[in-house]
Amino acid sequence: MLFLQTTLNGLVLGGIYSLAAVGFSLVFGVLGIVNLTHGIFVVAGAYAAMVLYAKLGMDPLLAMLPIGALLFAVGYAYQRTVIQWAISRASLVASLVVTFGVAMIGRNLLQLVFGPDTHTITPSYSFSSLTFGPLQIDVVRLVALGASLVLLVLLALILLKTHFGRAIRATAQQPLAAQLSGLNVRNLHGLTFGLGAALAGTSGAIIGIVQPFSAASEVAWTLNAFIVVVLGGIGSPAGALVGGLLLGLINAYTAQYIGPSLTQAAMFLVLVVMLMVRPNGLLGNAFGESR
Amino acid sequence: MNRSLALLLGLAAIVVIAVLPVWIGPFYTRVAQLFFFSAALAIAWNILGGFSGYWSFGHTVFIGMGAFAAAHFVTQIGPIGSGPFSMVLPILFAGLLCGLFALVIAYPILRLRGIYFAIAMLGVGQVIGELVNNIRWFQGGVGVFLAAPAPGGMPPEDFFYYIFAALLVACLIISVVVRNSRFGYALLAVREDEDTAMMLGVATERYKILAFVLSATLVGILGAVYGYSVGYFTTYTVFRLDFSLNMIVFCLIGGIGTLFGPVIGTAVMLFLTQVLLSRFLDIHLLITGALVVAIILLVPGGILGALKQKFAGRAAVRKSVEA
Repeated sequence: MLFLQTTLNGLVLGGIYSLAAVGFSLVFGVLGIVNLTHGIFVVAGAYAAMVLYAKLGMDPLLAMLPIGALLFAVGYAYQRTVIQWAISRASLVASLVVTFGVAMIGRNLLQLVFGPDTHTITPSYSFSSLTFGPLQIDVVRLVALGASLVLLVLLALILLKTHFGRAIRATAQQPLAAQLSGLNVRNLHGLTFGLGAALAGTSGAIIGIVQPFSAASEVAWTLNAFIVVVLGGIGSPAGALVGGLLLGLINAYTAQYIGPSLTQAAMFLVLVVMLMVRPNGLLGNAFGESR
Repeated sequence: MNRSLALLLGLAAIVVIAVLPVWIGPFYTRVAQLFFFSAALAIAWNILGGFSGYWSFGHTVFIGMGAFAAAHFVTQIGPIGSGPFSMVLPILFAGLLCGLFALVIAYPILRLRGIYFAIAMLGVGQVIGELVNNIRWFQGGVGVFLAAPAPGGMPPEDFFYYIFAALLVACLIISVVVRNSRFGYALLAVREDEDTAMMLGVATERYKILAFVLSATLVGILGAVYGYSVGYFTTYTVFRLDFSLNMIVFCLIGGIGTLFGPVIGTAVMLFLTQVLLSRFLDIHLLITGALVVAIILLVPGGILGALKQKFAGRAAVRKSVEA
């Protein structure tokens, strides 16, 4: 029974990891950029949800809409300026360093505004839980998992069915060919990055009600996203889901059976082993066929 | 001419370094000590990351490992020798252990390239740090003591000032020798195009492993001395993400892959953060981040790269004018 409960906890946690990582995965897959600012987007989303809840009484789940829109704009502008400049002036690797520098600035700004303390968002339903026979689950976590799954499915539908999604996939597979077919690749890169940032921000709103967060936790969220991508695969919602659920399970089992202080070590151990065995993840690179 | 000038400059530098602590007082002696330590770390990182292009994001693992190795060597075996010389064996043991550890993980981990190598090293750093912190035998959680045997009458900050100065010079010499040897050229070939280098018969695998082990050994030795200089440390004093990141940032600002870039970058950054802006501690991160972004956007080759480009440009102009 303990095993089942641990598994359930791990899966619920994994759903949140998936959503927090899918934007990172998309940007990595389409633009080839490892965006170390990703964690900032997540934490900024959480802070934004906290402010909206405290000042306007807006439910964090509802706040996902304005936060997503805001971060979409920020992400688009950020990619079209700083990241684009870095890539054109230096190299693709330089984008790694630039996003790292921006992450430092972002973390410092968040600390200046909100202080270094950890925060949580506590809506009215945050202390109730449901029981299924012997199993127990918090309502917030269930809600968070549901929202994550809905958003992941939405993203998958956008990528598969809409013109926009097809354009993104074409750009990822062959930027030059996509440009020759009349797509505005630069604009699409910006839009994809914006989409990634928006997804990170909305996941932040959800994370805010489930876990405590602080400006310094952005590092953990960036690394989590990276681990999820390495576990699952690059560029697809399905890969993020597989990776996220796996990471959640690893986390829960380690905490339960080995020791809660060793979860970080276990996650990184799996990461290092996975990198050596299958660096493109279990589901591979969604856009890798033609590269 | 050039050589004797360099010799003269070197001698002058040694004299200045030797008498400096008397002039600047304890606080700035500590800042200078930090500068020597950081610059030596950056040089050691640069041998792997700058020459061969394998950017490690987890080099702090060797600082931590070195410090803990020295501390446990002293508690398990006891200090051998007397006075300052009792530090020699523990420090050598630390370097050896780090080199061995690097050798063991080198083959699998150096198969990864680019960002994957960087993140895998970050992972190695985190895993080892957590293990040291959580396995009771290592005492990483409660901390270990490593008393500094400074010679009688000498203030400890002066003592470590000289030791770190000597280590910086040693690292610099090693780096220069490596850069001008066949080994160094092989590393540059790996950085420029690993597959082509391999195809042309460069033993890339062997040279990469050698660079990794050398870099790890140097950082391990520096870590052990750092352990001595702080006297008491826990896991998070020595397994610190910002150590890893500083090595990269300092190299980046000075000029990655150049000989003196790491030293210049360290000097600039430490002057800015420790001296000029030491009163604005709460925006350190912001300044560092902004500098990193500015360097990448404005002078991607770092300070030395920019200077080189400027002089090369001038020379080219002169040549075209003469022609």
